[in-house]
Amino acid sequence: MTSADMTNSDKLRAHEFDGIREFDNHLPKWWLWTLYLAVLFSVGYWVHYEVLRSGLSSRERFALAVQADDERIAKKLGPISNETLLELTKLESRVAAGKAEFVKTCAQCHTANGGGGIGPNLTDKYWLHGNTPMEIKKTIEDGVVEKGMAAWKDVLGPKLVTDLVAYILTIKNTNVPGGKEPQGEAYDN
Amino acid sequence: MTDTAVAASTKRITYDDAVVRGFILFSVVWGIVGMLVGLLCAFQLAFPALNFDTSFLTFGRIRPLHTNAVIFALVGNMLFAGIYHSSQRLLKTRMASDLLSRVHLYGWQLIILGAALTLPLGITQSKEYAELEWWLDIMVALVWVAFAINYFWTLAVRNEKNLYVAIWFYIATIITIAVLYIVNNLAVPLDGMKSYGVFAGAQDALTQWWYGHNAVAFFLTTPILGIMYYYLPKAAERPVYSYRLSIIHFWALIFIYIWAGPHHLLYTALPDWAQSLGMLFSLMLWAPSWGGMLNGLLTLRGAWHKVRTDPVLKFFVAGVTFYGMATFEGPLLSIKSVSALGHYTDWIIGHVHGGALGWNGFMAAGLFYWLVPKLYGTKLHSSKLADVHFWLGTFGILIYIVSMWISGVTHGLMWRAENADGALEYRDWATIIDAVIPMYHLRALGGALYIVGWILMMWNLWKTVAGKKPVDAEAEVTVLEKVDAPSSVRLIFSRPVLLSFLGLVATLFLWRNNVIVAAVALAALVFICVLAWLRYQSAQREEFRWHDYIERRPLAFSVLVGLAIIAGGVVELLPGLLMTREVPMTDAGKVAVKPYTPLELEGRDVYVSEGCYVCHSQMIRPFLSEKKRYGDPSRIEESMWDHPFQWGSKRTGPDLARVGQKYGATWHYEHMLDPRRMSEGSIMPKYPWLLTDKIDPAKTKHKLKIMRALGVPYEKEEFELAEQKYREQAGVIVKELTDYGVDVDEDSKLVALIGYLLRLGKNEKPSTTIAAPAATNGERKGD
Repeated sequence: MTSADMTNSDKLRAHEFDGIREFDNHLPKWWLWTLYLAVLFSVGYWVHYEVLRSGLSSRERFALAVQADDERIAKKLGPISNETLLELTKLESRVAAGKAEFVKTCAQCHTANGGGGIGPNLTDKYWLHGNTPMEIKKTIEDGVVEKGMAAWKDVLGPKLVTDLVAYILTIKNTNVPGGKEPQGEAYDN
Repeated sequence: MTDTAVAASTKRITYDDAVVRGFILFSVVWGIVGMLVGLLCAFQLAFPALNFDTSFLTFGRIRPLHTNAVIFALVGNMLFAGIYHSSQRLLKTRMASDLLSRVHLYGWQLIILGAALTLPLGITQSKEYAELEWWLDIMVALVWVAFAINYFWTLAVRNEKNLYVAIWFYIATIITIAVLYIVNNLAVPLDGMKSYGVFAGAQDALTQWWYGHNAVAFFLTTPILGIMYYYLPKAAERPVYSYRLSIIHFWALIFIYIWAGPHHLLYTALPDWAQSLGMLFSLMLWAPSWGGMLNGLLTLRGAWHKVRTDPVLKFFVAGVTFYGMATFEGPLLSIKSVSALGHYTDWIIGHVHGGALGWNGFMAAGLFYWLVPKLYGTKLHSSKLADVHFWLGTFGILIYIVSMWISGVTHGLMWRAENADGALEYRDWATIIDAVIPMYHLRALGGALYIVGWILMMWNLWKTVAGKKPVDAEAEVTVLEKVDAPSSVRLIFSRPVLLSFLGLVATLFLWRNNVIVAAVALAALVFICVLAWLRYQSAQREEFRWHDYIERRPLAFSVLVGLAIIAGGVVELLPGLLMTREVPMTDAGKVAVKPYTPLELEGRDVYVSEGCYVCHSQMIRPFLSEKKRYGDPSRIEESMWDHPFQWGSKRTGPDLARVGQKYGATWHYEHMLDPRRMSEGSIMPKYPWLLTDKIDPAKTKHKLKIMRALGVPYEKEEFELAEQKYREQAGVIVKELTDYGVDVDEDSKLVALIGYLLRLGKNEKPSTTIAAPAATNGERKGD
């Protein structure tokens, strides 16, 4: 019991309501302090964030986080070009990672072997949005929304996107059996 | 006390206990229905086959039925029973009008019947706990007015000089619920079944959660506190711990509660200032809430031995303790960084069930076990059985909330987990769901235990009253002829009120961004507080006398309650309502957010009707992990034409704010007919009826007309072109599906829904966006 309780007199009020009586004991001190402290904290928080604006808003904090994340990942991956992506196809681990992701994510529309279903065949020589490594990368990252291809840049992150490009480069022109009919222009490379 | 009213005569009165018996019966019966629907919902999440591929049994439609039934039918009828029973005794008079009491009793059940019939049919406004359509809303308003007239009339003819603390809480309930319900449901009817709310987007979100949060406050909390203040001391046969604690926590509670609504919208597109108010007032609410718990528990000093043997006290003690737990958890969840983890997850489901099952359900059980025998002049059939009910219920609640804590925190952590490459660790939604399925099983078990307890209570109460005659209590009361207190007007314009008002005005100058004004306001506020403190110290007795006086003037008391609850609503809602909706433009001078096309508008109504918002949010929060999963954070203008808003409050499925950028028509077609075809392990129901249910595009123009009247910029010329445009856009989708190899009717609901889903998130960015502070040289943009 707190000190407040010990000083309480338990004096009954004169009035009675349908047999219910009331004491008029003091408010517990610790309880009062939780109220006072919450009020003081609130005034301080409000002044910091909304009056002085010395604290960052939620959107500013977000913009900073995006910036830092972009820089960190760009540094990690280094520059990306047609040549570096072609180099990737020689790294077995990256191609394997790309294949695993393809089966997990892309197969929904392009089927597991890349032969195409809802989405086009990726194993023939016909391409709707270009077939250079950087063009494939762009299609994955930004999508072709009006045709139902999602933008995967944010979801997959830069590393998995490059892995996927590497894997797709290894299956193009392999013409898997049962693939979807050609869509787009024919490319000879 | 020297001021006694002159007692001229006494008279014998009979209380209207029949209406109390009626409310109890309906509470118990609707209660079991509402909870069984909840149990079905719980099982559906663990076993999606239990949606039975039928429209009216699908989760999105029956979860609103569950929440409405438990809130308005179980708790509603219970609190009315408590109010009618205790108020008559505390005011020493029969209710003023037996007719109005019956209008209330039967009118309320008609409304519940209406809810039970319309919600499974998909007739809904899609605003949580305000789903009922406009004609049911009008019935609610009328019944509530009947209740209010009857109640205030009873106050006027009372034979008790002062209003006891329980009555204060009842008054606050009646006034505040009327204000909340009417404002939040303002709508323009389309036809006999459907309406469109007058608010849109962020405005609508703020209004809805001002309502939603305070429905919890003034429907599930204040009346139950009133009930606690009458029945707990009665059952314990002990005086209430502290009258002055009653005063302080009552006024603090009703004033502060109203402001806390925006804590449901932390990290949404709502401006930061409103979010901060929501969080801070939630923190300040902790103490006033606990004031109620303390006054209840400390009343039991010297009576704890009775708790061991008396099931009524057991239920009350546990109920009040669960109240304490839920009102600690609430402020905790309102802290922005905690909300970032817990919001949209099952943690919130656990939190509300701690309140609903623990506080509301147990207070109801305690009340019924105490009251029902008295209403039939007999003893409870079996105390033992009530004990069993208590333990089943307690374990049920604990299993329920612990499983939801685990599930909620698991989801919160999995949503944000990133791997070393900066990509999301768990991108596949089914993996995330899979992780908590065992918790869904446990939750259903907890709920089932609770329901078994409730059934035992039904049986126990039935055995108690079977064959017994109802007893309407009588009492000899002294007729109150004169109340000696200053007039209501004088009390309203008295010093404590004026000081409080000045304090509030000074606080308002802390509004925004002006350091000098804020410093002066803060100084004034401190000055007013010191002044109030000094006055209180020097004339403590007199101040209490002032409260003694307003307890004798129901008019003054009610006006002060009205002022206390209106302040927060005005400050938070008015700025948004006064702002004109300006159409934002892009840098290239294009309209950033176009109104929905006729097809999208119809599809949106399908989305609303199926209750998609129950499991899907449309509000991406400004977190890196959400950007990676869903895309850029939602912006305030993106939902500006949404009557009603669809921000949602729970992510059992992923956010859909930008789903239009993700999948095409064929994917949606497959996914709506069988979600597991596109996403193995999904727990979403199938929607086969959307293929056969039809929309009449010839009628879409009426929807456009109402939208235009509500401020959505449709041109008048578009009305007559609506059907043609509808068919053009539907034709594109049908063609894509035909190419894919399936035949779909152009007028089917599915095509409209796909049209809407394809549109989501395809707005242009307006010219003002918030950049990182470093990039803008420390110059900051306002929100």
